[in-house]
Amino acid sequence: MGTLTMACFASLVGSKSLDFALKLAGAAADKGHKVNLWLSSNGTMIGKAHQKHLKDYSTAEKPVMELLKKGVEICTCEACALARGIQKTEAIEGIQWNAMHWYLAKIYNSDRVLHIGGE
Amino acid sequence: MSNVKLAFLIQRPPYKSETATLGITHAISYQVVEMLLEDGQNVIPTVCMVGEGVLNCLKDQKAMENYGVMSIESHIKNGLLVDLDILVCKEDLARFGISEDRIADAEDMGADKKLQIVPYAEIQKVMESSNHLLVF
Amino acid sequence: MKLGVFVNDYKSTVETVDRLTAEKLGIIFIQNGVFHATIKDNGKASPILDKSANFYALSEDLATRGLTNTDVDSRVKVVTYSDVVDLIFNDYEKLIWV
Repeated sequence: MGTLTMACFASLVGSKSLDFALKLAGAAADKGHKVNLWLSSNGTMIGKAHQKHLKDYSTAEKPVMELLKKGVEICTCEACALARGIQKTEAIEGIQWNAMHWYLAKIYNSDRVLHIGGE
Repeated sequence: MSNVKLAFLIQRPPYKSETATLGITHAISYQVVEMLLEDGQNVIPTVCMVGEGVLNCLKDQKAMENYGVMSIESHIKNGLLVDLDILVCKEDLARFGISEDRIADAEDMGADKKLQIVPYAEIQKVMESSNHLLVF
Repeated sequence: MKLGVFVNDYKSTVETVDRLTAEKLGIIFIQNGVFHATIKDNGKASPILDKSANFYALSEDLATRGLTNTDVDSRVKVVTYSDVVDLIFNDYEKLIWV
């Protein structure tokens, strides 16, 4: 089994890239691979708790909780989150908060890296 | 394996999104990654400006004056100050009609490094020799 | 190098992909990238398909857009998320998203 580290910079709403990242992370975890997910830029929106699922908008809280249960490590960029008014106290429990070097350190120990940039 | 080489390929133009800035700041964060690694382990980044990404390299950017944010030029200078290798695709500069004298440098800040204008073939070599590729 | 390229958009990605070279190249069409595998612009298939590469299209993103396997160019293999995971770990050592 290998280690896949992904990053996603795209927003939760208005882009399906984050949906893709979560689904791929889940598929890799289901096959027994170790998965790390770094959220930066608008991708940090995923980490806010109490998302309401309206049918015209993507929602991530439930899939994120499932990924955390599967052992996927998810970390949000603290500066990117704070700049968007997202506080640690309102974050989904289990998501780590750190800075960019967390991502590089995870990459160091990874077999594969998929960096999903912004749009 | 003690060093992992990463190619940061920046292809987005400046300011319309955060992407180009984040490419440079993520590369700069190699400075502190050792805190999370074992002794002797390190990450070696190379930043490559390609396609519209070369448009980030123009000097005299006025982002702070106009938007109150640090310019990409300032991030590039900071990158040079911490000895990042930053390559700029020669063919793409030529395609956009940008001469070398319009390219940023960090000489005023005392940086030894300069932006390195190279043919795309050199950037391809960086991609081949890197362990992982990050496209911004 | 063995390079896997995730093509997630339609018009804007042709130039970037055209420039890439690798001893083994895999192009995985996802999101609006699946239109490269299905749409003929003025009767012509996407120029990306002329590259020397293995091509894949994500079934879920085809279905989301009202496309079926019969719309897919014969050069492209339709894959699931699970297949993509196997491609990542077994076939391509470096990955990029364009």
